[in-house]
Amino acid sequence: MNQSAEELNKVEKKDLFTSGHRACGGCGQALAARLVQDASGENTIACVATGCLEVFSSPYPDPSWRIPFLHSLFENASAVASGVEAAYKALKKGPVNIIAQGGDGSTADIGFQSISGMFERGHNVLYVCYDNEAYMNTGVQRSSFTPLGARTSTTPMGNKTRKKNMPLIAANHGIPYVATATVDDFRDLQRKVKTALSIEGPKYIHILAPCPLGWGHHGELTVEICRLAKDTGLFPIYEIVDGKMTNVKKIPVKVPVQEYLKLQGRFSHLFKKGGSPEIIAEIQQIANQNIERYNL
Amino acid sequence: MEKLPLGLVLDLRKVVPYKTGSWRTLMPINIAHTPPCNNACPAGNDIRGFLRVLAEKKDYEQAWHILTRTNPFPAVCGRVCPHPCEGGCNRRDFDEPLAINCSERAVGDYGLENNLQHKKLIDTRKEKVAVIGSGPAGFSCAFHLAKRGFQVKIYEANSEPGGMMRYGIPSYRQPNYILKQEIDNILRLGVELECNVKVGVNIPLDQLRNEYDAVFLGIGAQKGLSINIPGKDAENVFTGVEFLRQVNTGKWVELGNDVVVIGGGNTAMDCARVAKRLGANVSIVYRRTRMEMPAITAEIDEAMEERIMFRYHTNPVKLILDEGRVVGLLCVQMELREPDASGRARPVPISGSEAFIPAETVIMATGQAVDYDGIEIQTADKQWIYTNEYLMTNMEGVFAGGDAVVGLETVSLAIGQGMRAASAIEDYIEGNKESELSQPPVVYSRELNTYYYQPVKRYEKEARSIHMRLKGFKEVYPAFDQDDIISEADRCFSCGLCYDCGNCYMYCPDNAVQKSKTTGFYEFDYDFCKGCGLCAKECPCHYIQMTLEK
Repeated sequence: MNQSAEELNKVEKKDLFTSGHRACGGCGQALAARLVQDASGENTIACVATGCLEVFSSPYPDPSWRIPFLHSLFENASAVASGVEAAYKALKKGPVNIIAQGGDGSTADIGFQSISGMFERGHNVLYVCYDNEAYMNTGVQRSSFTPLGARTSTTPMGNKTRKKNMPLIAANHGIPYVATATVDDFRDLQRKVKTALSIEGPKYIHILAPCPLGWGHHGELTVEICRLAKDTGLFPIYEIVDGKMTNVKKIPVKVPVQEYLKLQGRFSHLFKKGGSPEIIAEIQQIANQNIERYNL
Repeated sequence: MEKLPLGLVLDLRKVVPYKTGSWRTLMPINIAHTPPCNNACPAGNDIRGFLRVLAEKKDYEQAWHILTRTNPFPAVCGRVCPHPCEGGCNRRDFDEPLAINCSERAVGDYGLENNLQHKKLIDTRKEKVAVIGSGPAGFSCAFHLAKRGFQVKIYEANSEPGGMMRYGIPSYRQPNYILKQEIDNILRLGVELECNVKVGVNIPLDQLRNEYDAVFLGIGAQKGLSINIPGKDAENVFTGVEFLRQVNTGKWVELGNDVVVIGGGNTAMDCARVAKRLGANVSIVYRRTRMEMPAITAEIDEAMEERIMFRYHTNPVKLILDEGRVVGLLCVQMELREPDASGRARPVPISGSEAFIPAETVIMATGQAVDYDGIEIQTADKQWIYTNEYLMTNMEGVFAGGDAVVGLETVSLAIGQGMRAASAIEDYIEGNKESELSQPPVVYSRELNTYYYQPVKRYEKEARSIHMRLKGFKEVYPAFDQDDIISEADRCFSCGLCYDCGNCYMYCPDNAVQKSKTTGFYEFDYDFCKGCGLCAKECPCHYIQMTLEK
């Protein structure tokens, strides 16, 4: 599938993920899921792992999905997607876009083995990770994507470890396409989904999707927070095509991490009296390392 | 045997989605707010309206029609207005305000070049209105009344219409042919004009009150005031108004080599620059400093560029005469003390600092007053005509506006007053209760999301070189390039009005913003909107506002 640059940059809205889902107001994941489905089009099968997305979008009898939708378990969305792809091959049907989707828990922790297996076997599947940096569905428990200093229900004093770098782990499987995106730049996000679907083989897109409830910010700030995550350097935006990093999004004006942290309730303990300026300094150091490493 | 499906099958066409709109506590609504430029415009122009038409459709004709809905003199105002709109422009907090004044002139000139005509709203009515004075206020009132079908007759004391626009503004700022074309356009609406008739002298005001259903007084402040110092009645001492009138009617005024202009207002600047063009060495004498000068900043700058000397802190005490002609001024130096009633620093003379300034002509641009010759009317502070809030004077059916009411003000304010008076006259004749106009709230910079705008350099108009300017009375600023003006209009933020960026449509996590199939505008689906406020936050121009649930 060779698409012109104009087609790739076109913004799509097709109502394949409709209103009426039970996500909270301002949910970044609902927004990301809609943008992904609209970009991929009708000819798509969604294999969704357990998580917020599955829970709020698929209750009987009024699901939001207007495309075939398979819900499996927490750990095996990519295994199911691999099976669907294999079945299509065996039945000589297609081509069809198969998108395995999951939250950060099912990507980095519980479903890690099956996603790794899918990459290794080389299935023609796009894996989309909606990264909201904790297990939001079950009550904001820490996952291996939870960043340093963030308060969750299992790390009430703030998380002590750094975030797992899943895009680079995926890229090191030798898969042809890896990208990161956020919901604030919908044009860029949809272009990446369309680019990924035009490539044969396993693909991985990592989308930062703020969770107003779990992150403790107002729903209207979802897009603003994504923008700050990019501009502080905490969430670098890039593509890795055939092992080479391209399209690194430069930061126009660098912003100190405090601006990003201050908007979120999960970091509020860092700013309180007797807070932890050393943690903030360490988060700033992570941002600086990112800026240097990815040449933001 | 009938083949049954495996498990439950749901027909998606029959799905009734769950109405998440019931979760909402705040609801987004679309409101076309008032942009600060429209709010600041004394003539009430729809500035955002004409700029958006220029930017989106590149349609000069429609832009002209939007401007002339309120202002019949866009080409004149585009030249002489001190543009308070640009001071209001929200872009000033982002990079630089828009060049609204230049855009207005380009649109006005386009209308004249392509001979665009005003349209009548109502064909004809039998009621008659007399307008006294054909300045900006009078013509604006006549224009708005004629558009609404009234039969309007203008009485003008001078031999040509235009008032201060004709006799007060020199033609390097605003050429007469431009004014004449715009006046002709208004007269084509069926407005009658009679020149050389001074109401109160040639024809009594009471006669007009009997003949017409209403009378509008737009007599301006045509009388130049001179300061009361010895020697002010010498033959080579002029008032500013008198001097400009003589030059603008084409009379040669013998100035000599050294001209001293007294005053710091717009008339003083005009007089100084005109005298300079007539070949004299000009200096301006002013009691205070540049900070307190009431003239438009750009006018002061241009006067300085033209090498006019400014003497600040200087007050004339006496004109020195020789055989009935002035040969110079005796001036005293002033120092500034605590502010007076006008808010400007109060100048106090320094004793013993008298100095002599030679002058062959003295022009006193030190204020103007209303010429009440033959008109008996109640005044406020014995100076300007008294009106109530609907611009009616103490006489029943006699309205007033412009400089005669508000004091020495701008052309645009006079145009705005004329328009307000026209509405008041219509209400008066129809016996309506005067309609209170309400406008939606004004948008300020802090309410905009400027992330979505790019800094772009402002369009700067180019003046002719100074020696070319001083050679004659040609306009200081030659015509602008139309494409440049369109790209300038494209800088407009469109404060308070949707410009179809699509952010609300794309960012709504609930798909609750839809494009209307009938109008093409974005509208909210309140059955599903959860009221998160993302659309309002990401709306660049504050067209979406969160309000309490109804």
